[in-house]
Amino acid sequence: MTIIARRLAGHLARGFVMILVVATISFFIVNNIPGDPMAARYEKLIEQGMSPEAAAQNVKVLYGFQPNGTLWQQYTDYMGGLFHLDLGVSVSRPGTPVLDVLMEATKWTILPVLAGTLLSFLVGVILGVYAAIKRKGKLGDALAISGSLLHGVPQYVLAMLLGVIFATLIPILPADGPVDILFEPGFNAAYIGSLIEHAVLPVATYALSAYGGWILAMKSSVVTVLGDDFILAAELRGMKRSIIFRYIARNAILPLFTILALSLGMLLGGAVFIEKIFNYPGLGLLLINSVNDRDYALMGGAFLLITVAVVVANIVADLFYTVIDPRVRSGEGAS
Amino acid sequence: MSATLIPETGSAAASMRRNFWRGVWRVMRRKPSRMVGVVIIVGFAFMAVFGPMFYPDHLPGDTNAITKPPSWEHWFGTDPQGRDVLALVVTGSRYVLLSAAVTALITVVLGTGLGLFSGFKRGRWDTVLMRITDMKLTIPGLPLLLVLATVWKFGNPVQMGLVLGLLGWGGVARAVRAQTLSLRERGFIEAARGLGLSTSHIIGKELLPSMAPYIAMNMLIAVTGAVYAQVGLFFLGVLPYESNNWGVMLNLAVFQAGAMITPYALGYLLCPLLAILLLTLGIVLVVDAMDEIFNPRLREE
Amino acid sequence: MAQQAPGVRIDGLTVVYKTSAGELPAVRNVSLTLEPGSITGIVGESGSGKSTLALSLLNAVQPPGRIAAGSVEIDGLGDVVGLQGEELRKARGRHIGYVFQAAQNSLNPLKTVGKQLLDLGRSHGVDDLRGLVRDAKELLGRMGLDGARVLDSHQHELSGGMRQRVGIVLALVLNAHVVVLDEPTTALDMITQANILKIVREVHAERGLTTLVITHDIGVVAEVADRLAVMYGGRLVEQGPTREVLGAPRHPYTKGLIKAIPRLVGDIDEARALPGRPPTLATVPKEGCVFRERCAARLDVCDTVDPEAVADGPRVVACHAVTVKEHA
Repeated sequence: MTIIARRLAGHLARGFVMILVVATISFFIVNNIPGDPMAARYEKLIEQGMSPEAAAQNVKVLYGFQPNGTLWQQYTDYMGGLFHLDLGVSVSRPGTPVLDVLMEATKWTILPVLAGTLLSFLVGVILGVYAAIKRKGKLGDALAISGSLLHGVPQYVLAMLLGVIFATLIPILPADGPVDILFEPGFNAAYIGSLIEHAVLPVATYALSAYGGWILAMKSSVVTVLGDDFILAAELRGMKRSIIFRYIARNAILPLFTILALSLGMLLGGAVFIEKIFNYPGLGLLLINSVNDRDYALMGGAFLLITVAVVVANIVADLFYTVIDPRVRSGEGAS
Repeated sequence: MSATLIPETGSAAASMRRNFWRGVWRVMRRKPSRMVGVVIIVGFAFMAVFGPMFYPDHLPGDTNAITKPPSWEHWFGTDPQGRDVLALVVTGSRYVLLSAAVTALITVVLGTGLGLFSGFKRGRWDTVLMRITDMKLTIPGLPLLLVLATVWKFGNPVQMGLVLGLLGWGGVARAVRAQTLSLRERGFIEAARGLGLSTSHIIGKELLPSMAPYIAMNMLIAVTGAVYAQVGLFFLGVLPYESNNWGVMLNLAVFQAGAMITPYALGYLLCPLLAILLLTLGIVLVVDAMDEIFNPRLREE
Repeated sequence: MAQQAPGVRIDGLTVVYKTSAGELPAVRNVSLTLEPGSITGIVGESGSGKSTLALSLLNAVQPPGRIAAGSVEIDGLGDVVGLQGEELRKARGRHIGYVFQAAQNSLNPLKTVGKQLLDLGRSHGVDDLRGLVRDAKELLGRMGLDGARVLDSHQHELSGGMRQRVGIVLALVLNAHVVVLDEPTTALDMITQANILKIVREVHAERGLTTLVITHDIGVVAEVADRLAVMYGGRLVEQGPTREVLGAPRHPYTKGLIKAIPRLVGDIDEARALPGRPPTLATVPKEGCVFRERCAARLDVCDTVDPEAVADGPRVVACHAVTVKEHA
């Protein structure tokens, strides 16, 4: 138990530093925006007859710190705000706190990406085992090549190809937005059907682009385990094939679980291209739009949220590993 | 000179190199597709260097042929300004490959340098450097680039390559460090020290040659990522449209010419897509060949 | 239950490995009889084919190798070389126990020893799993281990000597009466090694086993084996009762091996290493005697004719020089 506690403490400390670094990056970017929109807004408000205090307050709400403090003061203001989960107010959506905008967008990102990740993990792992066992035959070759190609092709290329094929050439699937606006939102068949229909292309793209990595990782993991002594030993002890298969599978999949946990952390920021291409209102599209609108509070918030997810996933992955691998549990194995 | 003093190590390194090239040749010959990979990459390099010379600086637009499907005159059709799509792809390759080259240079120099340093010094420096690379590998790259796009305009391919290189050396550094440590564990370095060789000799003549393949492979992976990232950034439309990049073409094809709604602009969309796919294929084939050369476990006789 | 102490007759066994230079023999025309209830030791340098021979007893030569000719008859089981599929699987573990080299990790790192014992029981259709666990605990206790604790441990929590004893238990717990030990004491310290050998001898006698010990260490064979067989380059060059072979070796290779052992008392210079290197698969001579390159008693006939294994009472030697002397 103490080992788990110690590892957890280390991770929390590292995660904290990471979040600090990312927040600092956001701060300096907001602070170094070309053309200094902060000062411009401040002066504009004063011209409109606002008092300097009120104008400074207004700017602070927008950007997280006051325009005329020292750098250090601005920095502590900004960080202080972050730790109170005060991410500021969105410029492009007046009156809405950034946190609410982020939560709304996160909803649209998590479900499709989660579905895509789990689907590709399942298929990739199963086919990866075959690719390893049949690695000398045609089937194994074909599986490995399919993995390399899909792993190599960038996500946006895949998304566009799927879009062109299934939305333009053979128009059977929608590729624009998360749901048909015709339908009344709510728990009715038409609305949910439309939701699912619109999710097919994003989910399929995500699954296909992730599948290559899984199949390659599983294949190489299985090949490694197949060469281990204990597999031959089990064979020489006359163990049943099904039991040996379980030995192989469990040992081979272990390192993949860590990658799975990590990639679940990446999922918030992982669908930027897909959301842009299929006009899906998730966190990625929000980030792009906030960059285009120069909505810094929203941008910083989205970036921070994406990073926090990665940090949390790192911690979860490690703890998970500690639980499933007895070697780590007793503090012997290397991380 | 050192070769006469230490015939053993000298000849060992030389034969290692000779065996290496023989291995390369055997792997290449066994699957001709790998040769194709090399040809593709060399072809793209030529296209980026010499291609733009055949076209004027500003490609002429034909107002009578706006967003046309492929024809004899325009193999891949025209864009909404009536420019030839193929010409756009050829001229755009220079930005893509030049910035990729800059990225490659930076990842190799920084990654190798820091990896060697880390593996050699070990101790505190190693810990610090590895923590930094850990962190860099953890911060989501694309969102970070998007955020950076508000500050930098990336109008210049060198600038783009620089930023991608600075973000991308972590993988090479890790690989080089791991290699250094493993050579160290095998007593390679101690033995060379024992023979009275200087550190620079050990690094330059013994370590680097044996690590070159790993560096090359990880560099290729980093460069692939960098090509995708820059084309992707332009595609997302967060950077100015004036740059000549495949990503700009993709963006305009999808979001301006409506390639995903009407078939007319398909050529406009498909030509840069095919260019990326072909480049990917080339890189995958070469990486596959390298993988087999340096990963004997996968090499099944 | 299988009858007590079966005999094993290996006859004309040849195992080849597929390489880029064609199929090369790792074991060539080996005949060897393991008398019921005896311990036979096979010694040889690495690459002599002794491990391949051991795996042949379970018809478990790993690809790219295969048994090209010969038979391995085990009483109550028949010719193992002819066994296939389920029949072969059930023979392994149930009739023939195999104990891995101590340095190797023969246990699944993710499961406790106890769970792997249960897997073994289920694989062989053991109904009384409690009884199996009881037997295993008893065997472990017999070997000086705390049975309950060991069954509850993962591989990484056991020392090399403990793992080796667990390996022996897993080989015996299903009542196998032919036991093959592959380098049972390699990588163990001297005291643990002595312990393991003592256990092997005792368990062998108690349970009425037929045991084959593979090793590169003549000391191990001298300690436990009744009979000794010497392998070189895939050939069995000499065999006979351990004491006789060690006391009066006939084959030049056996003589060289014994001369190479340094003695605790006496002059270190008396130990003389054998000149040259053992052959590998690719460098084994295709015809003639495999040992001639390093042989002090080399004759002209050695270049062309592979010496037959000639029996002389309980001893068998395959050497032209020895045969010539006897006939002269």
